[in-house]
Amino acid sequence: MSELVRLSDVTKVYQGGVTGALSGVSLAIEQGEFTAIMGPSGSGKSTLLNLIAGLDRPSSGSVVVGGTDLGRLGEAGLARFRRDRVGFVFQFFHLLPNLTALENVLIPAQLKSRASAEAGGRRLLSQLGIDDVADRYPAKLSGGQQQRVAIARALINQPDLLLADEPTGALDTKSGEHVMTLLAQLHEQGQTIVLVTHDAKLATRYAARVISIIDGSVVDDARLETAERRPADVIRVRGEETAR
Amino acid sequence: MRAVFVKTLADLRRRRLQAAVIFITVLLAVGTGMMALTLLTQSRDPYQAAFAAQKGAHLQVYYDGATSREALASTPALIGASSFGGPYPSTTIEFQHGSRKFSLDTFGRDNPGGDVEVLRITNGHWPTSNDEITLTRSFAELNNISIGDRLKVVSVAQRPVLTVVAEVVDIDEGSADLSTQHAWMLSSAVPSLTAPTPRSAFYKMDYRFAMDPSTSQLAGYIDRLRAGLPPGSIVVSLNYLLIRNIFNITNQILTSVLVAFSVFALGATAAIVANLVTGIVVSSYREIGIMKAIGFAPREVVAVFVLQIVTPALAACLVGIPAGAIASQPLLANSSHALGLTYEPSFSVGVGLLALGCALVLVGLAATLPALRAGLLKPVVVLTSAMAPRGASGSWLRGLANLVRLPQPIVLGVGDAFARPLRSALTLIAILLGVATVTVAIGLPRSFQKINDSETSSGNMQVIVTRSEGFPDSEVTRILAAQPETSRVVALTGTSVDVPGIGDAVNARVFRGDSSHLGYLLVAGRWFSTPGEVLAPKALLRDAHLKVGDAIAATANGRPLQLRVVGEVFDVSNLGHELFMDWSTYVQVSPESSPVVYYVTLNPGANIAAYMRRVAAVEPDFLDVQPNNTGLIAPVKIIDSVLLIVAVVLALIAVGGVFNTLLLNTRERVRDTATLKAVGMSPRQVLVMVASSAGLLALIGGLVATPLGVMLNRVLLDAVSYSAGNDTPAAAYSTFSALELLVVLVLGVAVAIVAALIPGRWAARTNVVDVLHAE
Repeated sequence: MSELVRLSDVTKVYQGGVTGALSGVSLAIEQGEFTAIMGPSGSGKSTLLNLIAGLDRPSSGSVVVGGTDLGRLGEAGLARFRRDRVGFVFQFFHLLPNLTALENVLIPAQLKSRASAEAGGRRLLSQLGIDDVADRYPAKLSGGQQQRVAIARALINQPDLLLADEPTGALDTKSGEHVMTLLAQLHEQGQTIVLVTHDAKLATRYAARVISIIDGSVVDDARLETAERRPADVIRVRGEETAR
Repeated sequence: MRAVFVKTLADLRRRRLQAAVIFITVLLAVGTGMMALTLLTQSRDPYQAAFAAQKGAHLQVYYDGATSREALASTPALIGASSFGGPYPSTTIEFQHGSRKFSLDTFGRDNPGGDVEVLRITNGHWPTSNDEITLTRSFAELNNISIGDRLKVVSVAQRPVLTVVAEVVDIDEGSADLSTQHAWMLSSAVPSLTAPTPRSAFYKMDYRFAMDPSTSQLAGYIDRLRAGLPPGSIVVSLNYLLIRNIFNITNQILTSVLVAFSVFALGATAAIVANLVTGIVVSSYREIGIMKAIGFAPREVVAVFVLQIVTPALAACLVGIPAGAIASQPLLANSSHALGLTYEPSFSVGVGLLALGCALVLVGLAATLPALRAGLLKPVVVLTSAMAPRGASGSWLRGLANLVRLPQPIVLGVGDAFARPLRSALTLIAILLGVATVTVAIGLPRSFQKINDSETSSGNMQVIVTRSEGFPDSEVTRILAAQPETSRVVALTGTSVDVPGIGDAVNARVFRGDSSHLGYLLVAGRWFSTPGEVLAPKALLRDAHLKVGDAIAATANGRPLQLRVVGEVFDVSNLGHELFMDWSTYVQVSPESSPVVYYVTLNPGANIAAYMRRVAAVEPDFLDVQPNNTGLIAPVKIIDSVLLIVAVVLALIAVGGVFNTLLLNTRERVRDTATLKAVGMSPRQVLVMVASSAGLLALIGGLVATPLGVMLNRVLLDAVSYSAGNDTPAAAYSTFSALELLVVLVLGVAVAIVAALIPGRWAARTNVVDVLHAE
């Protein structure tokens, strides 16, 4: 597998240096990996995801995704990067309320090209089991349906990297499991996924690699399919860190 | 209540930009409104005040010079006048000043006072010798003649030279740019200045009545005078109503324009205020819920929203009301100056308070109605929503835009334009009023220009030659015909015609030559072609109960004259009391007459200045040769300027409306914008999206407003024409080409897009992480 994401000594400082979100983080993510980033609230995991997505810029260090150094891109370049290379799934879905489910899904494709992407959008909705709500507005959808629409939107431009920030955080257990199953299926089809979650069980059940962050630093990086780490270890590590 | 003030102040600090929008729009609207109110109240019939102060004549009658003094002395009793002035011996003198020659009705009068027509000396002293003359200030200013200047009289063989010793204001004649003017000398000076030709000597009598007489009463007085004097004694008469109308017409038009557009400005402001408050309410659901949860009563919630609008509006009034009053002073000064009144800056506290009250009530109401929604919201419901839910409005527009495969940012932008239908409607009102006003401000001056061109025969004749009485018409005709550049000559004279049903004798313009080419605008019918055919403006036709095709049993020069109206012509002279006829008609009653003015049309490319020099050089003492002055008269220029100002004001208010809406939209949709940026929308695309929204609103507003503006232009033009005693000729309406209207539309859209740049840039700079993580 080739390397898709590389963070080198990345630091992120908010509010003029008062608050440190990330401190000297270096890591690499291979293409095709399903990586979970875990940590308690305020640990810096979402900041890490935002930096990989090109939504935010590091205070120092570099973020390279698919060979592109995001630090070298301007705002327009970052927008193109997000549109073409990355799919982002938010905890609160962030669907545009005045667009139908299908219209929401098609937005990134339409921003990229004038060519019709409707067939692709409908196919995605069908694959995600929500083709029957294509013409409904978000307010008329359940949380689970909204998140599946958000996933479809994230996938419409066939991104190299799918980033999911607490995708089950606003869902009930059943819907959450359904969404995670979908992500697992996408991974099986070769999709690189980076998942941010504070749910260790969820992380270890679906991800092949779990990176733990505490106070802006990577404290653990476990590849679950290897012999030296087992799911229980990760849970234990996180439990220990949380208990500090 | 303290909590309400604390919360209001905090909101004002937070919404500084929106407060600024309210401040500016209210300032502009109130300033314009105050200007209109000041003009309306302070200039209410200024003529009446001057008329009373200077004991103006209700009726002026010119009698033939052969009328006996005894007969003239009996006239006041004949009509029951309470006081009178005259008889003043009078004649028309022609004089030369520099290279120019002028003609003035000159009266013998030994002092400026008396019981009627008091002449107010504004400069110099009353004549004390026969070689001194007094002019009106209006005439002196218009022609750059000063006290001490010497005027060479060319209408009598002796060629005496007169010295200007005084300038006066006469309330019984119009200003020099609108009316022929009077001059005064000692009574003993008049006989030697009277040319030895028939009908060159007159007497003028001024009459004043205990009560202001009506039109029909004045007509009755003239009838009584005619009946009591030998036939042909009355040459012409003039009543105060006509002069008052001439004086007041500019103020009336200005006031009407300002009042109409002030209402527009206030309407647009109300729409912006309502829009703003609606926007604040829908985007503050959670905040409203919190306010209610911590104990704000519904009326206190409403008060918070209303006060944050009324406070900047009050500040705007405190600046706008004095500013409007100050801006109206030059117009008041102009009006006072024309009437010879002493101008004193005036400000009515009552009017100021009225403007303040009206503005605050209007703004308060516009704010209260949408704010009531905030007061009525249930805390439990609103606490769970950040803002009011948006419906699917605008989806059909997005669908349409998608169908024509517009880029996605434009598709989203046009959908957003109508996502909140009420907001869109209120914005459209502001745009509509702004674009309509701009359309009027472009169209009306052009219509005025067209009318002015027709009145001055602009383009149809280039040189005006006036001969002295002592120089024969045949010689002038020969001189003009001898010039190779002369293409056509239309000679002209004026006379008075008694028309049944009209009290005063009607001024008639008599043309010799092909006058149909002079370019007068026809409202109906056709130009005269055979003897007896005449044209008249609407006012004369209306007052004499005539229509095109009717016959008139008129009298001119003491003889009956059978006329037939063949057309309605546009002419503002004497507020539409004019007759146009051919020489062949006039010679029936005055075969010995000859014209005095010659309108000369030159061949294309002729050197006008060289032509004028050559003709003037032939007979420098007897011919006055001037270029045709086609410039706009001062009152029209003032009206054009005021129109321009109100157009700028309304356009700014409309831009404020668009800006306000975009501000509300971008702030309300900051999360959507952040989401779009997160999924790959570039800053430029965000800008395009916001601009598309503005552009569509402006396009729709413009599409409705442009024809509305054309219609409004028509209505205002009709009102102005009516004030000047006319119907509007069809040609005056057609001031817009389709291309120009398209340009107005495109410019409107362009301005709206420029106004969108600021909120658009804010949206483009939205920090995705900050916004989405603030959930």
